[in-house]
Amino acid sequence: MLRPFALYRPSTVGEAAEVLVREGPDAALYAGGTEVLLILKEGLLRVRSLVDVKRIPGLDEIRRDDGHLSIGATATHRALERAPAVHAHCPIVAGVARHVANIRVRTIGTVGGNLAFADPHSDLATLFLAFDGVVRLASPSGERDLPLAEFVRGPYETARRDDEILAAVRLAPWPAGTAGAYVKFGVHERPTLGVAVALMRGAGGDAVTDARLAVGCVGPRPQRLPEAEARMRGFTLADLARHAGEVAALAARDVDAVGDLHGSAEYKREMTRVFVQRILLVAGARAAGRDTHERYPHTVIV
Amino acid sequence: MIRVTRDLDVGATPEDLWALLWDVPRMVGCVPGCVEAREVEPHRRYEARLTQRVGPITLSVPLEVTVSKVAAPSGLTLEAKGRDRLLGATVSLSVTLAVAPSGTGSRVRVEAEGRILGKLGALGHGVIQRKAEEVIDEFGARLRRAVER
Amino acid sequence: MNVIPIRSSCSIRFTLNGRPVELDVRPEALLLDVLRDRLQLKGAKRSCDMQVCGACTVLLDGAPVSACTFLAVEADGREIVTVEGLGTEERLDPLQEAFIDHAAVQCGFCTAGMLLTAKALLAEDPAPTRQRVVHYLRGNLCRCTGYRKIVEAILACAHER
Repeated sequence: MLRPFALYRPSTVGEAAEVLVREGPDAALYAGGTEVLLILKEGLLRVRSLVDVKRIPGLDEIRRDDGHLSIGATATHRALERAPAVHAHCPIVAGVARHVANIRVRTIGTVGGNLAFADPHSDLATLFLAFDGVVRLASPSGERDLPLAEFVRGPYETARRDDEILAAVRLAPWPAGTAGAYVKFGVHERPTLGVAVALMRGAGGDAVTDARLAVGCVGPRPQRLPEAEARMRGFTLADLARHAGEVAALAARDVDAVGDLHGSAEYKREMTRVFVQRILLVAGARAAGRDTHERYPHTVIV
Repeated sequence: MIRVTRDLDVGATPEDLWALLWDVPRMVGCVPGCVEAREVEPHRRYEARLTQRVGPITLSVPLEVTVSKVAAPSGLTLEAKGRDRLLGATVSLSVTLAVAPSGTGSRVRVEAEGRILGKLGALGHGVIQRKAEEVIDEFGARLRRAVER
Repeated sequence: MNVIPIRSSCSIRFTLNGRPVELDVRPEALLLDVLRDRLQLKGAKRSCDMQVCGACTVLLDGAPVSACTFLAVEADGREIVTVEGLGTEERLDPLQEAFIDHAAVQCGFCTAGMLLTAKALLAEDPAPTRQRVVHYLRGNLCRCTGYRKIVEAILACAHER
């Protein structure tokens, strides 16, 4: 049983903001409810109102927009899994969405809710960093864009202002020829570790011209690993196979790991090293036109 | 168990630093989120309310603070206990402050140890430990500002 | 620009197991409580109460949701199917038959959730691979059977179509 609340169903951003500002910390945003209803049930949060944003038009759209993939905040994981625009421009996103939580959460839970709740154990937040994700925040005074890395400030904490709602997240699709991969590891409902890698290759070349490496779930927020990325620039595929361990060690050194029920900080750092190495080898194989078909326990490779 | 240790160099004499620390309500007021610090029994018992947020979750605890050890003018230990009834969270902390002379003037070592029991534990020890570190870091910064004036 | 909230009570209309239902519910009412306590449909179970175990699964417009973490007001205008909506008085649903034939039921606590999730899967994909079945049902936990018989029952049912 939940404590009573009033349910607002605004049909514009302005209406939503008006309620949020008036109610302050006594109101919470609500879309799929897969996070907020849980913390209400646990008694960790008390509200006088929920502000349901699902009736604001356009907030659930998934489409190509000015070269980016724009994912509306109230798009469900299930919609993300199936959207033609995702399959066309960022197919790995569909693959990762398919493995978020369980089928029921995917039916109802939204991308925006996932990002705005900022649970450290999030696949999408980790993956979207590797797409240079930018969130679009809407308020009565207009819209502003914020890199995802700045939007997610820490565990359960974002840069959303009181009069703003998360409207969309925009991803920069990887260029043609990019070898990308995502690995998630864990036995719990939420992932213990997530690693996204993208290896960009110049036209027809063997060399890695640019790289993206994002690690999430092990610390307060997901992060890109710029030194590990820089190390890979200029690598041939043979270099990558030979030096994957070294790149993985760099990633493990730089990752911000925090102990919790998923494991100690040392454990998470070691798993970062293990899985970054594994996923680099997968991406390298894909770049060479092969697939390794490796299987590891409690691991999903997309 | 949450544990935070910080060493803070301040540009003030050990005497001035001790004077601030021994003004317990004023010192406790330097803890971010700590308000309504009042004296119940001079240099023995105090009350304060500590409010901190982690994302959407707010912890607000009325604390009973006791000075459990004093070694003027170089150190003191405070014990604080309280319960946030809304969250069902019980807080118990022990904070030891030690003053010593240093190159800049003086140094205070802050050693905090404590437990937060109850549903808040669902956030994970790591999140709470990090938050405690942030709070102690900010406490140190405010102490420094207060004593260097 | 004044949004009027739903405060104490709200009338909802939805289709439940093929029949129209009209109810007054409070905004904070959870679908699981409405199904079990107001409508006396005990098939969906409160088990983990945090949407991870699947024992409370019901179908919302054909897709599985956790009734324990779903506001009843959201059912308005939708189609809800519970395990009581599978089969008829005269005939069990083929999935239910398959579960019995393959001994996929022991204590039965997870069964309603398993059946409905499988139903949703087969509606989407009438001939799923074993891997697809396992993936789709990953969020439905069973403490008794070890899952093998459940997966076999679903696969058998699929191939029979």
